[in-house]
Amino acid sequence: MAFREVNSRMVEATVVPGQRLFSQRGAMLAYRGDVSFTPNIQGGQGGLMSMIGRRVSGEATPLMTVEGSGTVFFGHGGHHVHVISLTGDTLYVEADRLLAFEGTLEQGTMFMGSQGGVMGMVRGQVTGQGLFTTTLRGHGSVVVMAHGGVFELPVTPQRPVHVDPQAYVAHHGDVRNKLSTALGWREMVGRGSGEGFQLELSGNGTVYVQASEEKL
Amino acid sequence: MSAYGTPGAGPVIHDPMTLPADDNVNPYTFCVDLKGSQWFLQKGKMIAYYGAIEFNGIGHGRLDHLVRTAFHSPLHASDWVVAEGSGRMLLADRAFDVNSFDLDDGNLTIRSGNLLAFQPTLALKQSIVPGFLTLIGTGKFVAASNGPVVFMEPPIRVDPQALVGWADCPSPCHHYDHGYLTGVLGGLRAMTGLGPVSGEEHQFEFVGAGTVLLQSSEALMAEQASGVLPNEPGVPGAGRVSRTGGQQAGTQGLPGQPGGLPRRFGL
Repeated sequence: MAFREVNSRMVEATVVPGQRLFSQRGAMLAYRGDVSFTPNIQGGQGGLMSMIGRRVSGEATPLMTVEGSGTVFFGHGGHHVHVISLTGDTLYVEADRLLAFEGTLEQGTMFMGSQGGVMGMVRGQVTGQGLFTTTLRGHGSVVVMAHGGVFELPVTPQRPVHVDPQAYVAHHGDVRNKLSTALGWREMVGRGSGEGFQLELSGNGTVYVQASEEKL
Repeated sequence: MSAYGTPGAGPVIHDPMTLPADDNVNPYTFCVDLKGSQWFLQKGKMIAYYGAIEFNGIGHGRLDHLVRTAFHSPLHASDWVVAEGSGRMLLADRAFDVNSFDLDDGNLTIRSGNLLAFQPTLALKQSIVPGFLTLIGTGKFVAASNGPVVFMEPPIRVDPQALVGWADCPSPCHHYDHGYLTGVLGGLRAMTGLGPVSGEEHQFEFVGAGTVLLQSSEALMAEQASGVLPNEPGVPGAGRVSRTGGQQAGTQGLPGQPGGLPRRFGL
């Protein structure tokens, strides 16, 4: 695994020749050895079409390519960091939560409407994810940022998990998510509990939740 | 000791006896034990105290001797007070992580905004590097950082915003990475000053023996002006206020970044 958590807000990445890392631009704190940081215009992997796709969908975060040999320390904005390792499955995460990821992962963009149709689009709006989200697939590890610490909740077919849309960070595995509403007459008269919208995740996988309702 | 106590037991309640002496109460609060002794502290960092403690601004006649021996930055004396008396005093700064460090006949240079308090057995001086203060001698000081402080051995290159300070004098210098200026796109970028930059073209480089202190995020603490440098020949950055905040440097453009068109044409 290329990433190691130094403390709650800093990760150490080992860079070896021939293996690229991608990281958010400006997130390097320190490095040792001979490492180069190249701005990545395409904002990640894939060809020109992937780049245009990301630009159009608003999932283009400024990324840089990290190459060479040495160790690099990453952190950004005082946010907590969390390392997720993927073994062949797909991680769904917002592009601006990505701190760094290994070049072995395949990056893509997903239309929210493809999961749940119109309700998926509404969900994207409510969670602040927009209409598109970033996917990472393959073998490798990813560092995500969160406001407050991150904890994992397993999702099993018998036990769906409900998450506050603002506290949702990412999920991976074969998970279906839909927006569940608990709106009643109280919300209509302005005496709601403030928990009218929830994300319901069901299936088989893991969801990552931050201990804060503040978005990045 | 957990900052939250044992689960279900409620918060830990401290009294003057159980408060730690010269140690952290939790990651965000430090307790100073005064027994007729003195501490220098930055204005506004004391949050509570037990006992009889007097806070005097520097510049009183009575403290003249102390200032003469332990405080060599007369131009920012107004930011500091001397706590004197006996009791226990709690220090904190906007919920940043607070740590105490012991110097044993050593030296340590720290970003001026990060230093909260120090014992008068240490001498505080302005560093040659603008915006940094140097502590020399033996004693304890308290510093704040955004996230826990990480100690690193040189050689290392550090993002300017992540640097808290350095000890035992590894040579600090600037490092510019111009690798991004190669190739066709790099050439265009160099010509026009347009195009993406990785944001990592400029670092502080440390080589030699010593320790480098990093904070684990790039959010800076509020900069404390470390005073105007005397306008003499041979003093770096003399004659202007030595505020070298990231924001301010950003407006002028970091030296490592390709400048705008006016700079290219020498305007």
